[in-house]
Amino acid sequence: MNAPGSRFEFGPDLAGRTSRLMFYVLLAIILMSLDFRERWVDQARASAGLVTEPLMLLIEWPYQTGARLGEGLRAHRQLLAEARALRLDLARVSADLLVLEELQRENAELRELVDAGQRVDIGSVAAEIRRVDLNPFSHRVLINRGRRDGLVSGQPVVDTRGLVGQLDEVFLHSARVILLTDPDHALPVRIERTGLRTIAYGSGLNAQLRLTDLPMNVDLEPGDIVLTSGLGGVFPAGLPVARVGSVERPVGEAFARAELRPLGRPDRSRYLLVLDRVSGPEDAQELTEELQEALREELLEEQPSTDEDPADSAPTEPDELDEEFDEPAAAAPAPDPSGQQS
Amino acid sequence: MSARDSDQVLLLVSLAAALLLTLMPMPEALQAARPHWLVLVIIYWNLEGGRMRLLGPCFLLGLMLDLLSGTLLGLHALALVILCYLLERFRARIRFFPPWQQAAVVLALLVNDRIIHLWVVGLAGEGWPHWSWWLSPLISVALWPWLFLLLDALRRRQRVRKSP
Repeated sequence: MNAPGSRFEFGPDLAGRTSRLMFYVLLAIILMSLDFRERWVDQARASAGLVTEPLMLLIEWPYQTGARLGEGLRAHRQLLAEARALRLDLARVSADLLVLEELQRENAELRELVDAGQRVDIGSVAAEIRRVDLNPFSHRVLINRGRRDGLVSGQPVVDTRGLVGQLDEVFLHSARVILLTDPDHALPVRIERTGLRTIAYGSGLNAQLRLTDLPMNVDLEPGDIVLTSGLGGVFPAGLPVARVGSVERPVGEAFARAELRPLGRPDRSRYLLVLDRVSGPEDAQELTEELQEALREELLEEQPSTDEDPADSAPTEPDELDEEFDEPAAAAPAPDPSGQQS
Repeated sequence: MSARDSDQVLLLVSLAAALLLTLMPMPEALQAARPHWLVLVIIYWNLEGGRMRLLGPCFLLGLMLDLLSGTLLGLHALALVILCYLLERFRARIRFFPPWQQAAVVLALLVNDRIIHLWVVGLAGEGWPHWSWWLSPLISVALWPWLFLLLDALRRRQRVRKSP
């Protein structure tokens, strides 16, 4: 790496060393800004994955063998008890599934009646979280499925309780999931009770999301369920995301703030489900066309709806717009039950 | 020359081990306070082994760590290059410090490393880290003497085995 007896052994050669330091510092800063501003470095990162991935597998290896040994040593009786519990679980779940099938048929008939497009069935891949810790600032985990299993960057990831995050970088045998709580992550959401649409930002804290741009008179209460809105075309609409923890309306600020507790907890369960991306760019195109049409209609009609509740007069109009806008997004999927049980 | 060759193997092994230890799973509460293994190993090799004295290898190692841990590409590289520069600048003095003073220097270097991280993370607009993040230099310094003794013993043993 460094030649023995280089000039470092003799005189200080301070000027040369300082200029080399400056060179490397500049290089690092350029790299960081490229990585931060644009995603130009992605290509480099992806190819570096070829080197880094085996290392990560190496780290995980002792844990995996440990787990396998533990399984081998587990008592016969314990396994039997577990099998019984699982069988009970299966019976319960398949009963649920029956009801669901009935609903599905009914839904399909209704859809035919209203001449709507068929619902897309969402495929999914089960994955396990690898035991590798990444840096404490970014909330990311590594899972044991990758390009080989057909994953691509951007796919939503759920656990049994709710949305967890989306795929960030996909390697050959593993993929990195960026969690909802990552400070870089923003998620288009909808409040289940009121239908209000907004964006949930990661807070950088475990188990906390933030809503920061709510109007002061927003109708939001602790305990409200927050779902994905399906806007943005990455996440299917209607996935459970979080429960509202607290709402504050700080005096002297323009917006109210709310704190959410995510339902999906990757720190509790090790098994995740990677869902297919539902809407491609064409759907987004369709959505925007639909929205423009809705806007035009709205302008033509000019209905005086303000008398309903004068206090909320400002937010009602965009809300109504959103209602019409949301229809295709909500129609596309209702994926959580089918996704979980497959 | 053979001593240097045997050192080479140990150097590479210890650097790889440091990288792996950095990614090792730890309990949630201790995650932010994980010791900075790579910095400790680099400091040891610079002071005692007379290796890792150029900025280039430090930069590459930093990039490697960035890629592995998924941080902003260049963050660890920047911190390690600055560390390497400071170490090289004051090497002659640090080498002849008594052990406790050497440990103090190591602590200072580690805190400096954290400050560089904080600066970049602040510029990137991420939040202030959990307070336990500042425990990491203290834990690292507590590990420093043991790492020092371990690597010294390994090096000596390898040299003895090679020499006859």
